Amino acid sequence: MTTSLSLSNTQKARPRRFGYRISVVGAVSFLIIAAWALVAVFAPYIAPHPVGDIVDFDFFGPMSAQFPLGTDYLGRDMLSRILLGARYTVGISLAAVCLACFCGVTLGMAAAVIGGWFDRVLSRMLDALTSIPSKILALVIVAAVGTSIPILIVTLAVIYTPGCYRFARALAVNINTMDYVTVARARGEGLGYLIRSEILPGIIGPVLADFGLRFVFIVLLLSSMSFLGLGVQPPFADWGALVKENIGGLSFAAPAVVFPSIAIATLTISVNLLIDNLPQKIRDRSEQ
Amino acid sequence: MSDKITNWTSSDDAMVEIAIRRGASRRELLQMMLMGGVAAAAGSTIIGRAAAAVAGQPVKGGFVKAAGFSASTADTLDPAKASNATDYVRCCNFYNRLTFINGAGETTMELAESVESKDAKVWTVRLRKGVTFHDGKSLTSADVVYSIKRHLDPAVGSKVNAIAKQIVNVKAIDPQTAEITLVAPNADLPTILALHHFMIVADGTTDFSKGNGTGPFILKEFQPGVRSVAVRNENYWKEQGPYLDSFEFFAISDESARMNAVLSGDIQLGANLSPRSLRVLESNPAARPFISKLGTYTNLNIRLDMHPGDKQGIAEGFKYLVNREVIQKSVLRGLADIANDHPVPSTSKYHNSELKQRAYDPERAKSLFQKAGVLGQEIRITAAEAASSALDYAMVVQQAASKIGLNVAINRVPSDGYWSNHWIKDAVHFGNINARPTPDILFSLLYKSDAAWNESGFRSEKFDAMLLEARGSLEEAKRKEIYGEMQAMISNGAGTVIPVFMSNVDAVSPKLKGLVPNPLGGMMGYTFAEYAWLEA
Amino acid sequence: MNSPILNLVAERIVVAVVTLLFVAFTIFFATEMLPGDVAEILLGQAATPEAVAGLRAAMNLDQPAFLRFIYWIGNLFTGDLGVSYVNKMPISDLIGGRLVNSLKLASVTAAISVPIALTLGITAAILRGTFYDRIVSIFTIAVISVPEFMVATLSVIVFAVYLGWLPALSMANEVTSIGGLLKVFAMPVITLSFVISAQMIRMTRAAVLETLSTAYVEMALLKGASRRRMVLRHALPNALGPIVNAVALSLSYLLGGVIIVETIFNYPGIAKLMLDAVSTRDLPLIQSCAMIFCLGYLLLITIADLVAIVSNPRLQ
Repeated sequence: MTTSLSLSNTQKARPRRFGYRISVVGAVSFLIIAAWALVAVFAPYIAPHPVGDIVDFDFFGPMSAQFPLGTDYLGRDMLSRILLGARYTVGISLAAVCLACFCGVTLGMAAAVIGGWFDRVLSRMLDALTSIPSKILALVIVAAVGTSIPILIVTLAVIYTPGCYRFARALAVNINTMDYVTVARARGEGLGYLIRSEILPGIIGPVLADFGLRFVFIVLLLSSMSFLGLGVQPPFADWGALVKENIGGLSFAAPAVVFPSIAIATLTISVNLLIDNLPQKIRDRSEQ
Repeated sequence: MSDKITNWTSSDDAMVEIAIRRGASRRELLQMMLMGGVAAAAGSTIIGRAAAAVAGQPVKGGFVKAAGFSASTADTLDPAKASNATDYVRCCNFYNRLTFINGAGETTMELAESVESKDAKVWTVRLRKGVTFHDGKSLTSADVVYSIKRHLDPAVGSKVNAIAKQIVNVKAIDPQTAEITLVAPNADLPTILALHHFMIVADGTTDFSKGNGTGPFILKEFQPGVRSVAVRNENYWKEQGPYLDSFEFFAISDESARMNAVLSGDIQLGANLSPRSLRVLESNPAARPFISKLGTYTNLNIRLDMHPGDKQGIAEGFKYLVNREVIQKSVLRGLADIANDHPVPSTSKYHNSELKQRAYDPERAKSLFQKAGVLGQEIRITAAEAASSALDYAMVVQQAASKIGLNVAINRVPSDGYWSNHWIKDAVHFGNINARPTPDILFSLLYKSDAAWNESGFRSEKFDAMLLEARGSLEEAKRKEIYGEMQAMISNGAGTVIPVFMSNVDAVSPKLKGLVPNPLGGMMGYTFAEYAWLEA
Repeated sequence: MNSPILNLVAERIVVAVVTLLFVAFTIFFATEMLPGDVAEILLGQAATPEAVAGLRAAMNLDQPAFLRFIYWIGNLFTGDLGVSYVNKMPISDLIGGRLVNSLKLASVTAAISVPIALTLGITAAILRGTFYDRIVSIFTIAVISVPEFMVATLSVIVFAVYLGWLPALSMANEVTSIGGLLKVFAMPVITLSFVISAQMIRMTRAAVLETLSTAYVEMALLKGASRRRMVLRHALPNALGPIVNAVALSLSYLLGGVIIVETIFNYPGIAKLMLDAVSTRDLPLIQSCAMIFCLGYLLLITIADLVAIVSNPRLQ
C-alpha cells in the first residue's frame, strides 16, 4: 500500500484523462451568469418601469405586451422588479458565498494541517456557532448594529462558514495523511505552502461542488433575511423575496411567482453546471 | 340591460346580507342596488343568494375545525391576558361577557339581565339566573366582582388595565346583583363590558388552563401553541345553540396554507386572509369568503414632538400625500372604506359625516413640505409586517413622495419586538389599531393628552375636557355633537394619518352556516363557534 | 485499534458539556441583547411602564436575569429544564410531545432520503459525464433552487386541493393506521427530502470522484480494474469521511431547520416551538431548545467523525 502510494505521488503530474476543452454546457452556463451580472449592473437603465410604481390596478396580471412578465400583488411591473432584484441576488449572494467559502475552507485546511489544540478549539467553537439558531443571530445583529448590505453579507457568511469549515476540514484531514503531504512537511515547507500547493488541489473538486450548493442556500436564505428586517429594503427585493411576496398567486400560476423562481433556477443551475465543468481545468493548472 | 354583474363584489354581498338580517324588504334592497347600478334581474340573483345564506334551519351536530393566523406558547385561556384572535376565539368558546355587541353594532345583554345607572357613575348589574359554570358552580355577583377586579391588579397583566382604571369599586349587593362605581360618569360602560377581555370567570380562579366558564363549549384539550379541542356544553344557559358537537381550533400562520386547508376540506374556516385571496375564494366552490366590515386600521404616525414632525405642516403634508384610493384599490383590493384621518368609522352612529373628506393632493403636500423646508431631505418611515399591510402603504407613500421631490426611505424592521421598540417611539412609523366599539374608548386610548398609546404625541386640553364631557353625558344628541367635533380636531390636528378602514376576510366552507358579520372582528367577532352550524 | 475511538468518544463527551455551556452563555447574552423582555412582549401594545413592572413582579422576573440564568444552569445538572416564563408550564411538558413529533418526521425523512441520495450520488460518480450524470446534477440543483415554501405550497395545491389525495395538514395526533401515517407524512417528507437530498447527492458524487482521481485508483483503473468495482472497493471507503460529514450536516437540518414545513403543514414540531420562545423572550425555553439542537448536532458530527476515522485507518 505504501509503495503504491509513494509511486502514485511521483506520477501525480501525469495528464488526466478527463477533458481539457471547454464544454458546451460550461460555456452556456458561463454566458447565463455573465448575462445576469450585466443585468445586475445595468438594471436601472433597462427596467421599463420604476421598481416601486404601481402601474396596473389589476394584481397578479398576466403576461402582456405592456408588462411582459405580468404584474405583482400590488400591480407593479414584474420585469422591472426581477431586473432590479438581480443586483441583490447576484451581488449579495455571490459576495457572501465567496466570503463564507474562503473563510471556511482556509480555516478548515489550516485546522487539518496544524491539528492539535488549534484544530480542537476551532472545531468546537464553530460547532457551537452552528448550534445557535440563525434567527436569533439575525435578530441580535439587527438589534445591535442595525442593517445594511455589508452587514447582511457578513451575516450570511457567518451563518454558512461553519458548514464550509467542517466539510473542508473533513476532506483536508484525509489528504493530510497522504504521504506526499508528509514528505512536503518533512521538507520543512510552511503552512501557507502546504495549504496552497498540497492540500487545496486535492480537495478543490468537492469544495467547489459545495460552493455551488451553498450559493443556492444563500440565495434562498437571503429572502428570509429581508423578512426579518435585515438587508434589502423595500421597494427593492431579491428574487427569493419576490417569490415569497407573490406566493398567493401560485394558485392561479401567476407569472409574478413563476418568473422569479425561474430566474433563481437559471442562476443557481448555471453556477453549479459551470462548476461541474470547470474542475479539471483548475486542477490541472494548479499542478503545473 | 344585461344580467351580467360587473362591479359587484362579495363585499357588496355581505352588505346585502346585513340588510336582509336587519329586515330590509325586497323592494328596498332592489332600490338600494339600482342606486348602485345593478340591473333588476341581476339584483334578484344577488338577493336570492344572500337570502339563502341567511335562511336555513340550524341543525345540531358535526365537528368543525378552524384555523386562526397566529399561535404560540403564549396562547392563554385567561381572558384578561388574551392578546389576539386565537385567544379571543377560545375565550368566546368557554366564557361569556355581561353584555354583547351584536352584528348590527348594538349592545345587548348576555350574562347580565340589565346594566343600569341613573348618573352614569354608579352602575347596577343584575345577573341572569340559573347560569352555571362548567364545573357546576352557579354564577353569582362574586364572580363578576372577581373578574372585573382582576383587570386592576398590575400583577395580572391585563390588556385592558388602562380602560379598567376608571372603575374605582366593584361590590356584590346580593348574589344576583353587583354594583360598579366609576371615577367619573361614563355612559358607555355597558359597551365596555362587551370587550373580549371582560369575560366572566369563576371567583378565585388562578389556573386558567381548564377554561372553566359559563360558555357554550367545554374544554377537552388545550396545548398552547398547538391546538384546543372543545365539546358542546349540554347545559348551556341560552335556549339556542351551540349546534356543533365539537370544535377544534388551532393556527396556521402561513396565509396560503390556511386558505388551501379550507379549499381541501381539512378545515371549515380559515381566518384573516388577504384581500387578494378573494380571486380564488370566489372562483372555487369549495370555499366562500366571509367578509366583515370593521373599524380596524393601519395608520402612518408622525410624532408631533420629534423631528421632522415638529415642523408645522409635515403631518398635514403626509395626509395629502397618502393616496387613499390606491391603498383601497391596489393594496386592499376594495376590501376597505376610505377614512378621514380620525378613528371613528362610518358604521358608527357617532361618525362625523360633515367633515370634508381629505383627498390625494400632491401639489398641496409639496407646498406644505416646501414651507417646512424638508424637500430634498430624507425622511425615514419605520415599517414592519407586524402592522398589517404597513409595508405596502409605505411603498405607496414613497412612490408619491418621489414625484414631488421628497425623499422617503423605508426602514423595514423585524416584526419581532416592533410594538415595544418602534411603535409610538419612532419619529415616523406605522401603527395598527383594532376596532373599538365606542369613540370614547378610541379617544381615551389613543388621543387623550396623557394616553399611553398617544401615537403622534397629540396634546390638547380642550380635547381632554370634551372627552370627559361627552363621557358623562347621557344625552345622545349632545354626545354626537361633541364626538363630531373631536373627530375634526383629530383629523386636522393629530399626526396620525388614517387612510382606510380595513375589512376582514375569512375563508369558510360552504357547509358552515349561520355566520353574521360582527363589528368587533372577523369570525363573527370571534364568537362564530357558538352560532355556526354544519349543513348535513 | 479500539482505544483511539474510545478516547475520541470520551473526549467528545467532555467537549460536548463545554460546548453546551458555551452555547448556553452565548444564547443568554444574545437573548439579553434582544430588545424587550417577556413582560413587555406579552403585554404587546398594552405595555405601559407600570403594567410591565407589575407583570414582571408577578412573574418573578424582577431579580437580575443573569442570576435566573445561573439558577437555570444549576437546575439543568439535576435534569430539570425549568418552567416557561410565558405560561408557567414545565418545559419538559412543552417540549416532550413536540420533540417526539420532530424526531418522527426527521427519522422518516432520513430513512427515505439518505439511501436514495447516496445511491444517486454514487451511481452518478460511476457514470460520470454520461447523460444520467447530467440529469442527476441538473435535477438536484433545480430541486433546491425552488424555495422550500414554494415546493410545500405547490404540493398542497396539487395533491390536497385539486387531486384531494392527501390532507393539506399533517395532524400527527390523528394517525391511526400505517396508511394514515403515510398520507400524513407524505408531503412534509417529500418537501424535506427535496431540501436535504441535494447536498448529500452532490457531496457524495464529488467525494467519490475525488478519490477516483487519486493516482492509486487511477493506477488500478489503468491496470484494467472495472470502474464500478473501483468505486465500490476502493474509492467509496476512502470517500466515506466526507460523505458521512455531508449526511450529518444535512440531517442536522432536520431538527431545527424545518420551520417552513412545520408552519405550512401545521406540524407541531420543535422548530416552531423555539421560534415562539424567541419571539416571547422565554429564556428557559429558548435555552432548552438550543441545548437539544446542539446535542443533536454534536451527536451527528461525532458519529460522522468516528466513521471518518474508522474508514481511514491512517487517521488513527
